[in-house]
Amino acid sequence: MVRDVAFGQYFPGKSLIHKLDPRAKILLLIGFLVIIFCTFNYFSLLLVTLFTALMILSSGVPAKFYFKSLKVIIFILVITSVLNLFYGTGTPIWQWGIIKLTVNGINRAVFVTIRIICLILASSCLTFTTSPTELTDAIERLMKPLNKIHFPVHEIAMMMSLALRFVPTLLEETDKIMSAQKARGADMESGNIIKRVKALMPVLIPLFVSAFRRAYEIATAMECRCYRGGSGRTKMKSIHMSKRDAFSFIALAAIICGVILCNIFIPAVI
Amino acid sequence: MSSVLELKNLSFVYGQKTPFEKRAVDNVSLSIEKGEFIGIIGHTGSGKSTLVQMLNGLIQPTEGQVLLDGEDIWQNPKEIRKVRFKVGMVFQYPEYQLFEETVYKDIAFGPTNMGKSEQEIDLAVRKAAEFTDLKPELLQKSPFDLSGGEKRRAAIAGVIAMEPEVLVLDEPTAGLDPMGRDVLLSQIVQYHKKRKNTVLLVSHSMEDIARVADRIIVMNESHLVMFDKTREVFSHGRELEKIGLRVPQITKIMLELKEKGYDVPDGILTVDEAFSAVSSLLKKEGKIW
Amino acid sequence: MNFISLENVVFSYTDDENVKSEKNAVDGVSLNIKKGEFVALLGHNGCGKSTIAKHLNAMLLPDSGRVLIDGDDTSDEDKTYDIRKKVGLVLQNPDNQLVASIVEEDVAFGPENLGIPPQEIRERVDYALKAVGMYDYREHAPYKLSGGQKQRVAIAGILAMLPECIVLDEPTAMLDPNGRDEVLSTLLKLNKEKNITVVLITHYMDEAVLADRVVVMDSGKILTQGTPDQVFSQVELLKKHRLDVPQSTELANKLCGCGVKIDKMPLDTEACVKMLEEVLK
Repeated sequence: MVRDVAFGQYFPGKSLIHKLDPRAKILLLIGFLVIIFCTFNYFSLLLVTLFTALMILSSGVPAKFYFKSLKVIIFILVITSVLNLFYGTGTPIWQWGIIKLTVNGINRAVFVTIRIICLILASSCLTFTTSPTELTDAIERLMKPLNKIHFPVHEIAMMMSLALRFVPTLLEETDKIMSAQKARGADMESGNIIKRVKALMPVLIPLFVSAFRRAYEIATAMECRCYRGGSGRTKMKSIHMSKRDAFSFIALAAIICGVILCNIFIPAVI
Repeated sequence: MSSVLELKNLSFVYGQKTPFEKRAVDNVSLSIEKGEFIGIIGHTGSGKSTLVQMLNGLIQPTEGQVLLDGEDIWQNPKEIRKVRFKVGMVFQYPEYQLFEETVYKDIAFGPTNMGKSEQEIDLAVRKAAEFTDLKPELLQKSPFDLSGGEKRRAAIAGVIAMEPEVLVLDEPTAGLDPMGRDVLLSQIVQYHKKRKNTVLLVSHSMEDIARVADRIIVMNESHLVMFDKTREVFSHGRELEKIGLRVPQITKIMLELKEKGYDVPDGILTVDEAFSAVSSLLKKEGKIW
Repeated sequence: MNFISLENVVFSYTDDENVKSEKNAVDGVSLNIKKGEFVALLGHNGCGKSTIAKHLNAMLLPDSGRVLIDGDDTSDEDKTYDIRKKVGLVLQNPDNQLVASIVEEDVAFGPENLGIPPQEIRERVDYALKAVGMYDYREHAPYKLSGGQKQRVAIAGILAMLPECIVLDEPTAMLDPNGRDEVLSTLLKLNKEKNITVVLITHYMDEAVLADRVVVMDSGKILTQGTPDQVFSQVELLKKHRLDVPQSTELANKLCGCGVKIDKMPLDTEACVKMLEEVLK
């Protein structure tokens, strides 16, 4: 079923990572993602992997949900690692026709796989421990300087949070519409690409119509609750940086230093 | 009489072998005769929605069989679409599935998928529109321009047009006002009378079920707890209350009157029945003539 | 003093081309509602009851006539947000009025819009969630709740703005019987315990019976109004307009028809059994 996808799910909790300022979490994640792709030897890769594991453990969210988030991208993971495996440079250690295996290829495959896994896990860690409202709130605050150039920061953040709120609802609706059309004999599983795209229309059109109807009703409901844009709004959960956040930045800095040191003193393998 | 649908030890488990495993339907066996009007009651989450979706193969049972005209519908999984034409299913709020440019085309969607000829399709569409009382001039309009009630009827016509042997309706009157409910319900009854086929009606309105159903399936916590004649089921008012279901108000009134020692029959279903029971008591005592 | 006062309100919708519809959705309605009253507005789809609802919090303004909320005219633009704060509107589809991904954050949406300080918002959210019995679900995601629970959260979202009146536009139309009971008992509680004025728009007669006063609408006009007793004893009138009456009342009406004397129309099961016992004694 479509709605089984564990997308942007949030697990309320009281872990250290839950308590971090969402702005700090976003900045930390961006920093960490950059550093993941700056690993060029196994020591730095190990460092990054260990840090990811530490993050998962301290988030207090059961590991099975992290595996679930990996399941979604397993296909991409396999494809990219296989491609890298056979596109290495250097002397082949095994060859069969045009397919050749090199040490460099194997290294690349391992790096790409682990990097992507770390990337997904670290991002999941953010969405699992931060409520969508906190997340969009943080983005709104981080982008606030853009207000000066008349960039509609609040509106964008509001749209994002509404989108996140309605993803599960619309997925559920897609399920229902699909069942209803299948019950009228719609065939969505066979035929060539064109036929399949055509077969999607009976699902997509009602879905769009209903999304527009919802949008209209949501707008009404928001107006009824005195919504009038970002000016003059307050927040129930005010976010502010604390010692915890400073500590986490120091931890990230340590990892960055570690990776840089590894890169300087240990030769790169890819 | 021959049974058109037979369920044998039917079960369905969601998320099997995961921590979220949930038995939605547990070991249900029953058989439905041709031409019967069946009511299905049970509160939200009792398994009735899953049950009806197994009847036309939208959900494949984890255990047990669904026999349609004596044949297992999953005998040949590739042919499951044919089962959906024989067991027509109208979902809750069916108007949300309308998508074609015209009402006509939308109603024709099912018959077209069946591979019928243009002539057959035309006939099926017009007949279905007639059953649901959609005026011919509406057929060329966009379904999105219809009123709420008309949309609902157009969507139902889209299923009727497949001329199914069994018609399943999941709360067809939800969200309609009393007049809309009344009109739609009597159209369904008319359809059943004329076509003489089998109709299954899922509803929360006990008053509606009491008015139309021959027999009632009662689901509770994924089990089949009762399957009997309407009068029989509703004379078990206290048991139904125990599982959080109610009986029609008039049935309840007469049940309480009976419990107070008055001589009124069991399982009264309509106001008219109640009236004749009370007035015959009054006549006996000579209070009215 | 009247909290809500409609004076000869006329309204018709405009279509996409900005042309006024010839048929008035609301056609000369005058209605007064007192503070603390529980009023049910009854009628078919398209009878104008939802249009009235949107007039009560300045979402729509009358073409002619006027609407006064606590003495303020809804057409006064400076008062729009004051009015929406005083009169909260709950809509039919519970899914489409919850805007945040966490229950408590949704309830906070209204007060946040009003610019209330964070600490006070927290207090209001807790108060509102407790009042509708959803406090234990404060950290849940709305889409995982049942229909009745979602609708209670929507009520809490209005309640957190500390309104004096809640208007509900067919809040139970999409709910199952349990959900309906949850919502109705919540409303009764808010009305009786917190003295909040409730305007319940519905087409279910058994819900209207709970109100202090029932107003029946048809074709944009008020057909009849009074206490539930007074309104539902006009069985013939209601039937003529194809509104249904509770089965208990219908039975009583039939008995009246063949000469049985009934003093008070029974509106619920209990009253009807009592009435029958009296008749059969």
